[in-house]
Amino acid sequence: MFYIQDGRLMEKEYLIRKWLANDLNEEELKAFELLEDHDLHIEIIESAQRFKASHFSKVDEFEKLEDRLSDETPVRELNWVRPLMRIASIFVIGFGIYFLFLYNNLTHIQTMAAQKTTIELPDSSTVTLNALTEISYSKNRWSSKREVKLDGEAFFKVAKGEVFDVITSEGIVTVVGTQFNVKQRDDYFEVKCYEGIVSVTSKETTKELLVGDTFRMYGNEISFSKTSFQNPQWTKDISHFNSVPFNEVIAELERQYNITVTYDTIYEKRLFTGGFVHDSLDNALKSITEPLELSYIVESLNHVRLKNSGG
Amino acid sequence: MSKDLHDNICDKKLFAQVYDKYAEDLHNFLYYKYGEQFNPNDKTQDAFIKLWEHCKKVTLSAAKSFLFTVANNMTLNEIKHQKVVLQHQKIKTRDYTYEDPEFLLEKEQFLQQYQKALSNLTEEQRVAFTLSKIEGKKHSEIAEMLGITQKVVEYRIYSAFDKLKSELRGFNI
Repeated sequence: MFYIQDGRLMEKEYLIRKWLANDLNEEELKAFELLEDHDLHIEIIESAQRFKASHFSKVDEFEKLEDRLSDETPVRELNWVRPLMRIASIFVIGFGIYFLFLYNNLTHIQTMAAQKTTIELPDSSTVTLNALTEISYSKNRWSSKREVKLDGEAFFKVAKGEVFDVITSEGIVTVVGTQFNVKQRDDYFEVKCYEGIVSVTSKETTKELLVGDTFRMYGNEISFSKTSFQNPQWTKDISHFNSVPFNEVIAELERQYNITVTYDTIYEKRLFTGGFVHDSLDNALKSITEPLELSYIVESLNHVRLKNSGG
Repeated sequence: MSKDLHDNICDKKLFAQVYDKYAEDLHNFLYYKYGEQFNPNDKTQDAFIKLWEHCKKVTLSAAKSFLFTVANNMTLNEIKHQKVVLQHQKIKTRDYTYEDPEFLLEKEQFLQQYQKALSNLTEEQRVAFTLSKIEGKKHSEIAEMLGITQKVVEYRIYSAFDKLKSELRGFNI
């Protein structure tokens, strides 16, 4: 009996090895398909495609590299360049201090309802603003201090460099070269880290987020979770929520479509998981109402009322 | 003009062919081994630039080995200066509908676990498995890329698969 058991074990491993090498004959294939874990075997291989490199990172075309290939052999660095650079920098700092006192105005950028925009900061970091969001920063002081004030929701791609701060009324986010999403709407504050390390300070709590981590503060409650997306859905014109209070979901719907929605207040704090698209109000409303067994009436061009399906 | 394996590659046209031949494989190798955050595309470009700078001294036949070694070292250097958790990203479910949250949640959880399991593999296991099962490379091609025997490739793929299996049981998919 021991031999038979062993024989069966060997056979299973043998079949799997051959299958992994795409080397099964017809008879062996039949036996493989009868294995107990067959579905799991197939699922593992099929789902592997989800992690394909080209979905996340692509290599440049040769043309792009060509510009960087010099036609001459590199020359030894010229010795007079460095000292000259130092002298030049003293002049620059001199003027810089002078101008600092003159020019300290802030750059403000603001989006309206149903509007998104991406802007580039002085160091080629980019910020994508969701609807009804405002940011401000100082162009002139950017090289010494990277600081952005935020009211609303934005997705940041920060170029490597010195510390980068995002200041909201609910908390401060500090990063060094990374990608993250900050959302601050009324008393809902949420930070999602998509790349690198993000440090979040809110009230007395400081927490370091790694890739995939989400920090959330709603009212006075702090919670942590994971995000499984590699950048925020809203930048792809979908809003996705994971256990978010319904009133925030409605608020986002109103911002994206520039409408107002009335509904029974008992649903306000209900936790909602799901999402809606930004390009079809009908689909969006269906997605939001169905999970809670509600229905909707579009009462005018920009007003919607939700009610119980039963009534 | 026939290409002698001992030709030097300081000729732009020839160099472009070398690029087209190895760039994507090198990039994918770095991506699967170390993940996206160490910039596999940049490292690939930098390795080729180094190759160009040394084009007089590196022959065509030695180019591949040169590129992989340089790119790998560059990435290891960057890792030394950082302490970041390695994580392989996955794509969102392409057929996203909002009608069956229960099923989607299970699938999401399965993929999250898969992601963790992938990063728990050894680098060698992960590279062999992904190059074979995602990029569709033959065992012989992988062996050549990594400078190992086919038997070793098969062993690594099987070990990877076995580990993934043990970490992914118990999901209803």
